[in-house]
Amino acid sequence: MTLTDRTFDPGAPAVRDDPEETRRLEETWRSPSGPVGWFMPVNQRIIGRRFIVTAFVFFLLAGALGLLIRLQLAVPENSLLGPELYNQIVTTHGTTMMFLFAIPVVEGFAIFMAPMMIGSRDMAFPRLNAFGYYVYLIGGVAFFGSLFVGLAPAAGWFNYVPLANKEFSPGLGVGIWTTMITFIEVSALTAAVELIVTILKLRAPGMSLNRMPLFVWSVLVMAFMILFAMPTIIVASLLLILDRLVDTKFFIVEAGGEPLLWQHLFWFFGHPEVYIILVPALGVISSVITTFTGRPIFGYTALVVSLVATGFISFGLWVHHMFATGLPQLGLSFFMAASAMIAIPNGVQVFCWLASLWGAKIRLATPMLWVLGFFVIFVIGGLTGVMVASIPFDLQVHGTFFLVAHFHYVLIGGAVFPLIGGLYYWYPKMTGRLMSERLGKWSFWLAFLGFNLTFFPMHQLGMEGMPRRIYTYIDGLGWEGMNLLATAGSVVLALGFLLTAFNFWVSMRRGRPAGDDPWGAPTLEWRTSSPPAPYNHRHVAVVHGRYPLWQEREAGRREVVIGLRSDRREMVVTSILDAEPQSVQVLPGPTIWPFVSAVAASTGFIGILVSPIFFVIGFFLAFFSFVGWLWPRRPWRED
Amino acid sequence: MDTRSTVDVAGFSRFAANRHPLWWGVLWLIMIELTVVSAFIVSYFYLMRSAEAWPPAGIEPPPLLWPSVNLALLLASMVTMWWASWGLNRDNRAVLIAGLSLSLLFHCTVLALRWREMQLFGFKWSDHAYGSIVWTITGFHFTHIASAIVGTAVVLVLAIRGYFNPERQLAVVVDTLYWYFVSAAWVPFYLTLYWAPRLL
Amino acid sequence: MTATPSPFGPSGRRRTAQAAARLAAAGALLAGCASDGSQSALNPKSPDAALIAQLWWWFLGVSAVVLAVVVLVLAVGLLRGRGAQGARPLPESRRWALVVSGGIVAPAVAILGIVVSGLWIGRETGARPTPPDVTVEVAGKLWWWEVRYRDAQGGLIATTANEIHLPVGRMVRLLLLSDNVIHSFWVPNLDGKTDMIPGQVNELWFAPGEAGTYRGQCAELCGVQHALMGFLVVATEPAEFEAWLAHQARPAAEPEGALARRGREVFQQSCARCHTVRGTAARGGQGPDLTHLAGRRTLAAATIPNTRGHLGGWIADPQSIKPGNLMPGFALDPPDLHALLAYLEQLE
Ligand code: HEA
Ligand code: HEA
Ligand code: HEC
Ligand code: CUA
Ligand SMILES: [Cu+2]
Repeated sequence: MTLTDRTFDPGAPAVRDDPEETRRLEETWRSPSGPVGWFMPVNQRIIGRRFIVTAFVFFLLAGALGLLIRLQLAVPENSLLGPELYNQIVTTHGTTMMFLFAIPVVEGFAIFMAPMMIGSRDMAFPRLNAFGYYVYLIGGVAFFGSLFVGLAPAAGWFNYVPLANKEFSPGLGVGIWTTMITFIEVSALTAAVELIVTILKLRAPGMSLNRMPLFVWSVLVMAFMILFAMPTIIVASLLLILDRLVDTKFFIVEAGGEPLLWQHLFWFFGHPEVYIILVPALGVISSVITTFTGRPIFGYTALVVSLVATGFISFGLWVHHMFATGLPQLGLSFFMAASAMIAIPNGVQVFCWLASLWGAKIRLATPMLWVLGFFVIFVIGGLTGVMVASIPFDLQVHGTFFLVAHFHYVLIGGAVFPLIGGLYYWYPKMTGRLMSERLGKWSFWLAFLGFNLTFFPMHQLGMEGMPRRIYTYIDGLGWEGMNLLATAGSVVLALGFLLTAFNFWVSMRRGRPAGDDPWGAPTLEWRTSSPPAPYNHRHVAVVHGRYPLWQEREAGRREVVIGLRSDRREMVVTSILDAEPQSVQVLPGPTIWPFVSAVAASTGFIGILVSPIFFVIGFFLAFFSFVGWLWPRRPWRED
Repeated sequence: MDTRSTVDVAGFSRFAANRHPLWWGVLWLIMIELTVVSAFIVSYFYLMRSAEAWPPAGIEPPPLLWPSVNLALLLASMVTMWWASWGLNRDNRAVLIAGLSLSLLFHCTVLALRWREMQLFGFKWSDHAYGSIVWTITGFHFTHIASAIVGTAVVLVLAIRGYFNPERQLAVVVDTLYWYFVSAAWVPFYLTLYWAPRLL
Repeated sequence: MTATPSPFGPSGRRRTAQAAARLAAAGALLAGCASDGSQSALNPKSPDAALIAQLWWWFLGVSAVVLAVVVLVLAVGLLRGRGAQGARPLPESRRWALVVSGGIVAPAVAILGIVVSGLWIGRETGARPTPPDVTVEVAGKLWWWEVRYRDAQGGLIATTANEIHLPVGRMVRLLLLSDNVIHSFWVPNLDGKTDMIPGQVNELWFAPGEAGTYRGQCAELCGVQHALMGFLVVATEPAEFEAWLAHQARPAAEPEGALARRGREVFQQSCARCHTVRGTAARGGQGPDLTHLAGRRTLAAATIPNTRGHLGGWIADPQSIKPGNLMPGFALDPPDLHALLAYLEQLE
């Protein structure tokens, strides 16, 4: 198959870069600097970078908690951490990893990369984007900080009632969990709306849906999943907040409440949540494989259909987390079948990639290594996932370390490994420098080895009866060896991750300069300079196929859009299906309002821990700051 | 590399309200809220299903009269809101202002009626799960009406100051969209809160 | 909870000194399992658990094959491109064959297997032949288990705690309850777990297949001492079981000897508000029924062995053994403690 597309127009007028115009463009899109300036930028790349960096900091923090967990469990009857502290640490570890690391980091990658990949200069609602980040930052810091003052929640990352009711968790912890989680979900929802609209409406002319890079597809699917999943956790949290604050009785059995209502609402969100984390990582894999095999991916349509199918099916699986609750057998069986079914879209994707890799000339650079690691680890985790979909089997391993093994295999192997691969892959675009390959390879092999040493024995532990979330276990049950092994492995694993963190840090100054397109990649983000200029694309591209850069290289020419003004932030709006240019959107510049609004909203959310009246205060404070930020500036520009 | 231009957007509209990204943004915002509405309704029925008596013994389902009046008012406000944007499309500022004001009036009346109704509820949110869910849904809807009122009031102020014209009407379009949602959300809530305990 | 967790673990004994030795042993342990298997799903002791264990071995085998295939395809595919001859991709039709067979057919077959086996084993393990031979009500407490034996009419036969005796080969019906938070009842050797949820009664049916003592443990996070909320299931021959139950149904015997009688007084003073000893004035309900305490094998929800030393240690300082549990420590005078222990030891 040749990449050249016949639709290049030979008669089109030539375009030259006018240096004066470039300068003006740069001026228009630049973000302010200085201490106040830090609170003002709205450009998607800056917001995206902040998301990514903040999320990885939370990863290291929560990872350090993971190590503490392992240290405590290394030997039986250990007294390093007391039970209350242990429960707080496990809860904070799980919650931070899921809500403050995994989701924000995929959002970060999406916000940074997706707009550049679709040839856009920014996202549809830049100020909302900034708002989402501040909300995440404030909520995250408040949540994690609670651990240091001994007020962290201790009811597990899914916070089951009645344990999380006021009666059994009287401290502030659960309140912090509910309010901060809600707060952070707001951030995820803003990002989702933002990403959906940007991807549907701001693609470069010619990039019809079936030409969209697979990563962008995966981001789109993720965003839709966020849209329909997150509201239920917000409702669940709200009900629990009300129970704890104003004595409503949603979860109080004696007054007609229902503990299982919490579980349904939570898992209706919680199951899609795990695929929200997985799906963008799958997109990264497609990107990396395409680039490092240097040829089109096999089964583009099948991959897209699988992503979409995963998104749909994942809303029909939540009850598989509740097999042991004594729900009627018949209903459960439906969820057993549905859960097993999700092996098909996942299998199709795995085998499409295998077919793409077969016989390809592969450059085994670090990003590719992490992706290869994915295949082994994710498949193991996926297979144990299919096992626990079987009700009788799940009744044995539910709530045990077998489960802990399952979900670390899929979360770390399925999501973290590809994302680290993505980090190595896009780092040159973000910073203009390459990360060290040598450190990268060491990091990978340590992490791969350490990971399996840590989590593989946990399967055995679960089968041998070790429940999860226990701060200690009595001697003589035969769990000692495996636990010690797991702890030893976790140290190796941490070393592996730390090497990447170190690599990230030193390469910023010392890395080899990358050039615009160090990997010979096919997608539009590599058409910008490294790091990109404030406006991303000097000219907005006109796209003729799935692999525009390869096409352009082969043809020796490219096509672009003209007519966007350089004295204000303008972007092309295109149609949803075929990306036909429709109109032009004028974007706002840097502003402090999103920060003000985020502070206003957090007053409400944090205040609610003290008194319900803050809900109303926060609501209206935020509302007025929104009006402030949306109020048209005088003089009303006549255009 | 040989760079050619094949698309020139210099003459394209900078406002185009109906396909503006903001319109889509508000549409998705409404989808989020719709999910929230469904979650509340599902919770209501879940609690209802697992209760022995619904509402609990000794409590009557809330009276029908005023909520039904509210239903009429809310539906009417959708019409007046539509009328306002119809006026704007024809550059008729008087109709725009009248439509917006009438809609606001309807919603304010609803707010007052709901307030009155809440005073007359024979139970508190802390009495039992039934009270909790009824109060929560009521409060949720109440806050939304209130915020729609505030948003539309802002639009009204802008309208009076002559900001809008057929070309520049994004804020109106978006506000109208949200208004429709808030008003229409009463239909499922109304059926759930007032008819479900009677019929099911 | 009202618990004030102490910063100390259970007993602050073994520590990292042994860690190195353990690490060395760990490799060996990977191969063979060193535990006695008294809390292991891999050592099934009932028909239900045996079916599930069998299912597991099938899963393991099939998964190993799937994993091997994936890794093999990956490895061979990578190696084919490594030579100097350049890329050698599969022809289009072979690629589709790979995707369809590996990504659709194989999982579809696996799904069919999972669903069919799941439904079948689910029916077998969930079978409820009426009437059951024995009905036991187990209530999850913070953080121990109350056990009530019921007769066919639902009348109470006996109450005990943390140790459930069951007859081998008889169908047992467990009624699982909670009046506080959610717990989960699990004896891996005998059956899968079932949650104990406030406001509902879940049932678990199984028939112990072999005499023995099995350990169970709470499998749903239930607060500070979720970790040490264990219990024992003692499966005995039916005759032995009947005798045991009849004994449990009796009130406590009169204490013999002055020391024990003195001990009963101490008990009435300090312990009776939380503990019941049937046949005495002690009627407290917050802690386990101690009527036949001395007959139990363990203390504090299968955490420590029931010996005089441990019992004394528990009474003096339960918080260092199970930090955060709901029993306060008692700094009794040595003679009082002595008397109390003498009394408790007679509660056979
Ligand atoms: C990224 C995260 C992620 C992913 C991708 C998955 C993937 C899957 N998960 Fe997992 N899961 C979690 C994260 C994830 N899970 C978490 C965090 C929990 C626990 C939450 C908690 O309790 O704290 C959990 C818990 C969990 C449970 C609840 C268990 C319990 O609580 O008792 C179940 C039950 O069905 C389940 C099933 C599955 C299935 C069927 C898949 C499938 O999607 C897997 C599909 C993939 C494959 C099968 C591999 C690739 C396919 C092939 C190579 C083709 C060949 C395949 C066959 C022949 C079968 N998961
Ligand atoms: C994406 C999600 C994610 C990730 C990446 C991890 C990573 C790890 N997890 Fe976690 N885990 C969860 C999600 C995740 N976990 C969830 C959801 C739960 C359930 C919680 C619950 O039950 O409620 C859980 C529970 C859980 C348990 C079970 C606890 C219990 O049930 O009692 C254990 C035990 O071993 C564990 C261990 C680890 C380890 C060793 C890592 C390692 O990968 C960590 C590697 C280490 C590092 C990355 C740290 C490197 C940094 C340093 C050494 C310090 C430097 C510090 C600074 C610079 C600040 N995790
Ligand atoms: C405030 C209530 C309270 C008082 C007073 C109290 N206990 Fe307890 N006791 C408990 C609770 C609760 C448990 C269960 C602890 C656990 O395992 O988590 C318990 C457990 C025990 C056990 C272990 C029972 C078993 O089956 O494992 C013994 C023995 C015991 N108590 C003896 C005593 C004695 C002797 C006294 C008086 C000196 C006493 N208790 C006073 C609440 C109390
Ligand atoms: Cu009871 Cu955990
Ligand atoms: Cu799930």
